[in-house]
Amino acid sequence: MCIDSQMLSAYLDGELPEPYRTQVEEHLEHCAACRKHLDDMRALERRIQSSEFPEEQLMRNKDRIFSLLDKKYFQNGNKVSFIRRRLEISLPSLITAAAAVVFIFIGGFMFFGTSSEQTEDILPSFALQADSANVHYVSDTAGLESYTLEEILQYLDSKGYNVDISIKGLQPLETTQSTEVVE
Amino acid sequence: MEIKSTDRDDFKRVYDENYHLLIQVIMHIVYNIEIAEDLTQETFERFYVKNMTFPSEDDAKYWLIRVAKNLALNHVRRNKREIEIVEKARHNPSSSVEMRDAAQVAVEADERRAVRNAIESLPENLRLVIQLKEYSGLDYKAIAKVLGISETNVKVRVYRARKKLEEALSTEDRDVY
Repeated sequence: MCIDSQMLSAYLDGELPEPYRTQVEEHLEHCAACRKHLDDMRALERRIQSSEFPEEQLMRNKDRIFSLLDKKYFQNGNKVSFIRRRLEISLPSLITAAAAVVFIFIGGFMFFGTSSEQTEDILPSFALQADSANVHYVSDTAGLESYTLEEILQYLDSKGYNVDISIKGLQPLETTQSTEVVE
Repeated sequence: MEIKSTDRDDFKRVYDENYHLLIQVIMHIVYNIEIAEDLTQETFERFYVKNMTFPSEDDAKYWLIRVAKNLALNHVRRNKREIEIVEKARHNPSSSVEMRDAAQVAVEADERRAVRNAIESLPENLRLVIQLKEYSGLDYKAIAKVLGISETNVKVRVYRARKKLEEALSTEDRDVY
């Protein structure tokens, strides 16, 4: 019985373990059909590999890219590892500090409670202002894009701003005229 | 030996060791040298920025190939249309790299295109495996690690890819003659 093609393919790649490898080799010695099959596979492999890209094309910028990376990462005081080292050292104290903050925070609520009237005890200056009458929502769902440029200009004008608009790359024709308008 | 990606000596060694491999892998996916160079650079930047320690050089290599492959695949998926335009320009002989004997170049280009078309006609799971096998010199074990599949799976895919390529390339020959 002849060798299964999949086995032959693995044999070609040198990936067939013993005892199969020896068996395949023995079979190949007296089976012309399988030898032919293996040769065809080999030829195909060569053909595929021959369409590799030329070495000099692939490697043309290897040194340039390295010096770029070298400059960016290693000649700049080794930024990332510096920060990391600092963090590693301060981590235990960071945890202690975080625990302390949480403890004080929870403690504050335990002593003062969470009711709104007692906000005044914790933050008196804030409680005065945090009245619903004093809170205005500044952002609307509609953004600036719902206004035309003209409306925006009118608004700014009404607030006493003097706005000059120019288009990128365009030079104003007569500068004297524009100063007249300003005056 | 351990590899620390932010150590300059380690970085340089890994760079020298793997640049060719990575640009090769990427090139066979994007087929454009400028883009391949950009993506190779990005692969090494990610290697540095990740600030990782690898148990061995091989582990670093597998990681790099995986990243390079993903960057290249993402690039192709994102820029399908753009690539087709570049492609058309590239087939224009005036833009080819160095003009040797014109006839020789033409024959080589035809052969390359035939193989490339055959490889591109493969489904992605077969294509990557055969490219890593034939162009990157990786063994089954390494390919399995890069792609996160079993070695047996690699073996099967290599075989299937070969079978399909054989069919594709032989029908093409019949078309030519």
